[in-house]
Parts: sequence; C-alpha cells; structure tokens
Amino acid sequence: MRDRKGWTVAAWAAVAACFVLAAAVVGPATVSARPANQIPVESVSVADDPQRPTGEAWDTAPPVEVPLTSAPSGLPNASDTSVETVRVQSVRTDERFFLRLSWADDTADRNASGPREFADAAAVQVPVNTSARPPISMGSTRNPVNVWYWHAGGESEELLAGGPGTTTAFESASVETSTAYDDGRWTVVLSRNVSTAAANRTTLAVDRDVDVAFAVWNGANAERSGRKAVSEWHHFALGPGPRGPPYESILWTIAGLAIVGTTLVTIQAVRRN
Amino acid sequence: MSGRETDAGTETGASTPTPDDGVDLAEGVDHQVAMVMDLNKCIGCQTCTVACKSLWTEGGGRDYMYWNNVETRPGEGYPRDWENSGGGWKSGEHSERRPGEIPAQEDYGDAWEFNHGEVMYDGSDQPLRPQSDPEWGPNWDEDRGDGEYPNSYYFYLPRICNHCTHPSCVEACPRKAIYKREEDGIVLIDQERCRGYRYCVEGCPYKKVYYNATKKTSEKCIFCYPRIEGEGPDGETFAPACAEDCPPQLRLVGFLDDEQGPIHKLVNEYEVALPLHPEYRTQPNVYYIPPFAPPQHSEDGETVDVERIPRNYLEKLFGERVHDALDTIERERDKVDRGGSSELLDLLTDTNPARKYRLEVFDDD
Repeated sequence: MRDRKGWTVAAWAAVAACFVLAAAVVGPATVSARPANQIPVESVSVADDPQRPTGEAWDTAPPVEVPLTSAPSGLPNASDTSVETVRVQSVRTDERFFLRLSWADDTADRNASGPREFADAAAVQVPVNTSARPPISMGSTRNPVNVWYWHAGGESEELLAGGPGTTTAFESASVETSTAYDDGRWTVVLSRNVSTAAANRTTLAVDRDVDVAFAVWNGANAERSGRKAVSEWHHFALGPGPRGPPYESILWTIAGLAIVGTTLVTIQAVRRN
Repeated sequence: MSGRETDAGTETGASTPTPDDGVDLAEGVDHQVAMVMDLNKCIGCQTCTVACKSLWTEGGGRDYMYWNNVETRPGEGYPRDWENSGGGWKSGEHSERRPGEIPAQEDYGDAWEFNHGEVMYDGSDQPLRPQSDPEWGPNWDEDRGDGEYPNSYYFYLPRICNHCTHPSCVEACPRKAIYKREEDGIVLIDQERCRGYRYCVEGCPYKKVYYNATKKTSEKCIFCYPRIEGEGPDGETFAPACAEDCPPQLRLVGFLDDEQGPIHKLVNEYEVALPLHPEYRTQPNVYYIPPFAPPQHSEDGETVDVERIPRNYLEKLFGERVHDALDTIERERDKVDRGGSSELLDLLTDTNPARKYRLEVFDDD
C-alpha cells in the first residue's frame, strides 16, 4: 500500500516536472516567433545559391519586416523620406555571411545621370567592435561602424564611419552584391566572408549577437546622404541560445510551477473526499 | 603679413565688413584672392569662356559646365533663371541658410552634337546645326536685353565662382568635402571626399557648382590655382586663364588684403567695385565695376539726360551701393573731362599686366 502510494506521488512529480519544462521551452515559441529586433541567421549550403536574390536558400530563411523612419539630420528636407519598411533575411554558409534586403520602390533609379537624378541605395551598418553598441547614426570615432553600401548605379562599397559625414571607403571592398528589381520591389543580396582579420573590419565569426542597422534611399525622392530612411538597432542571432531575454524563461517557469501547484492541491482535495 | 592683417583674418573674420580697420577675411584664411571685372569693357566675345572650357571642362562629364560663363543682361542667365533658385544665407549673421534648388539639365542646356560630319565630309548641303532640337541653352537670349528702340540696352556679365568669404556651399556639405583653403581663400572640392550629394549645388546662390554625372562628384571653378601657384611652364605664375586671355583685359586679379593693389582701392577705398547680389550674404570676392551706358536718345537721335540702363535694374544686381559707385565714377570722369587727373580712372584704364595681376605679393609670407 505504502509502495503504491509512493509510486503515485513519484509519477505525479514526474508529470509535473515535464509540464514545467515544456511550458518553459514551448511557451515562448507559442506566444512570439522571436525576440524583438532579432534577425535569425539560418545555416544553408552553397548549393542553395544564397548569392542569387531568388536562390533556394531564401525560401526557408525567416523574413523580418524592419520598420524605417527618417534619420534625424540637419540636411534640407531630411524628414521627407519614402520607404517605410525593409524585409530582411540572413543566412550563412561555412565561409560566407549573406543578407537579403527587399523593399518596395515604384521606380528603379539606377543612375544619377543628370543634375537632379539620384540612384536608389541601401546600406547595412555593423559595429567594428561587436561587443559594444555604437551610436546609431554612423557610430562614433571611439566606436566606429562598417557600412556595406549598395547603390543601383553600380558596384557596392565597403565603408568605415565614425559619425555622420565621415564614411571612408576601404581600399578594396570585400562585400559582394547581387540585385533584382521586379514588380516594384528591389531585392539586394549582400555577402561577405564570415571571418576577417583586416583592421577595422567587423568579424562575424563570433559567439555573440551582433548589432546591425539598415538604411534605404529612394533616389526618385532626392534621398541621399543623411536624408534616408533608417531602422533602429537590430541584431543578428549569432550568440548561444536561449535566444530570448532571460526573464522570459523565468516567467514561463513560474507559470509552469503555478499550474503544477494548482493541480497538486486539486488532487489532494479530491482524495480527501 | 602685417599685424593689422592678422587681426582682420582672425578676429573680425566672421563679422560685417570693416573697411576702416583692415580687410574683412574669412575666419582661418591668411589671404583672399579677388577679381574685379569692369563690365564697361566686356564685348561678349566669350574668349574667357573658351579659355576656361579648353583648360578645365572639356569632356569627361563636363561638357555642359561653364565654370566661366558670360551672360547677357537683362536676361535669364546660365543656368536659366539661376537668381530664383535659392541658396545663400538668410541674414548677415550667417547662421541660417536659405533653401535652394538644383537646376534641371534643361536649364543648363545640353552639350549639343552638330552635323559636322555630314556638312564637312559627306557633301550635305544642310546648314550646320545641332542634331537635337534644343529649346534652351547658354546665351539662348543673347543680346536680347530690354528697352525699346532707340533706347534698348543690354550689357554682358561674366561670371565665375565668387570664392565667397561666407560660402554657403561649404556650409551645405555634410561631408566637409568642399572647403575654403587657408592660404588664399579659394573654394575647392576635395574630389576624394565628394560623394556627389549636390547639397553644394543647391546651396550656392550663384549656381556655380556643377554635378559631373560621369564622375559622380561635383566640380567648380578652381581660380586656376595651379597657374597662380606657378605650376605653369618654367615655374611662372599666371593669372586665371579667363583673365589673361580676355581680349579687352577687363579683369584685375590679386588679393583683397593687398592694400597696395588696385583691387583693394577699387573695392574698399573708392567703393566702385561691387559684389553681385550682396543680398545673398555670401560676401563674394569677385567684384564688378557697374556699366555706364551712353544716355538715352530721343526719336530724332538727340541725346537726352536719361540713363539708358535703369538704375533700379542695376540696383537689383549690385545692391543700393551701385548709386554711389556710379556717381563716384561720373564725378571722376567729369574731373578728367575738365583736364584734371583721377587716380580712380587711372586704375580703371591701366594696361600694365604687372599692376593688373598682383599674385606674388604674399609669396614671402
């Protein structure tokens, strides 16, 4: 009799433990897809052709809709920008890191071929030192940023910046871009080697989340320079799991314990009857 | 450099003109190049334009640019209607800029292609003409002017970058790619820093910065700095090509703070050389002797005591100081007519190149 009672308690305890665990692990996933401002980085194979804007690699990478607002700037008409959101995806192979940006733009402005014409453009900024978050507007002299700059007029650039108006091109760009414009949407893939040993160049071979921010220029709206639509800081999920902020796990554990407690009290009450 | 000039360069640099207390230079600038153009001598031959173009703006995305242009006044100018394109400063405090626009390509005019091949080599009897069908271009309204026969009038206005003391183009650049160089105040664009944003193009009220769509950078008059630095053959110093090549030699070139030179005397002592559109508040360093045309005629061809070029038109271009300037010149001319002598008229009629181009006075600094 005593044995049987002991087994029952043990079984209930095991069920309870499983419940708590399940709640802590599954709970966050059922409520929000991912933590705020996170850009997941999926591993893909080279055969999936991630450099191609329509490569298979991008079929499975989860897209993040990143909201954009006019960058604060003293330039004329700085608050007049037109692109409100950019869709961001990221994948990596063993060697290279890929980013696909896609946004709506009614006109493909490919060339600044007249005095009033400006090319469409997009940029990605990451801190040189990925352990400290720099000021959002092009970093600072103490905490500079790398900028991967694509414009519809031609080759992409890799720039170093330490504050607004300071971008300086690296002697040789290591960022490769490929582009598609289809049905009123630009799709641009930017890629770079995951690791780099070059001075002032951000390495992505790290075991921590890496800050990243985005900017888009609509050439037809005379957007250039600091007149641009920008995001707030996001981060590439390159760090160890769990991905979410720690308090989420704690809250779900407490919730699980509460459910178990309530269940046990209920069972005891039933037995007494 | 004298102590007085040092004061002008550092302490009073950002203030209003102080003609009685040294020469007002931009802050941080040692000396200031300057040019005086006597509009009474301009014959509209465009030799300056061609001299500049063949030196600096042939091909490479520069065909449409005229760093030096000569426009007919009254007229639309180059680029068309540039006086209504904004730019410059809102006040003499130089703290807030006036919004400006980038001129459209049509307002500059395109570099036309001509049917030279057909006419010269293929035996075509067509007239020589542009292959396109242009509707505007530089000097489209040449010699049209204003007024009615027999009292119609026009004059020519040669224009280069004014290398201003308070350049709003410099202030407009978010990258500090355009700057006023320390040794002589020439305004230059660092082609390595420039990314072709064109805030300087819209910021210049005289529209004297041009976008090069081939190079994707902006470019402008450099006051022929390699010539004035003695980079020419045999290390000789030359004035800018627009000045040296001018058939009637209407330009004086030197430094505003060279107090022994004719420019200082004409600008600061006699006050007969005036900047174009002083109300833009950029304080140009190119100055003009305003035109004094012959008086009007009656229908019978008799001279009447009415000025041919209306003063209010000149006032629009050169500000209200134009009245005093013209009065001073008239007074001095009368003096000479009566057999007297006039230093001012001597300065205006000097033909000695050594006195007209004083570019080596500060070489020993």
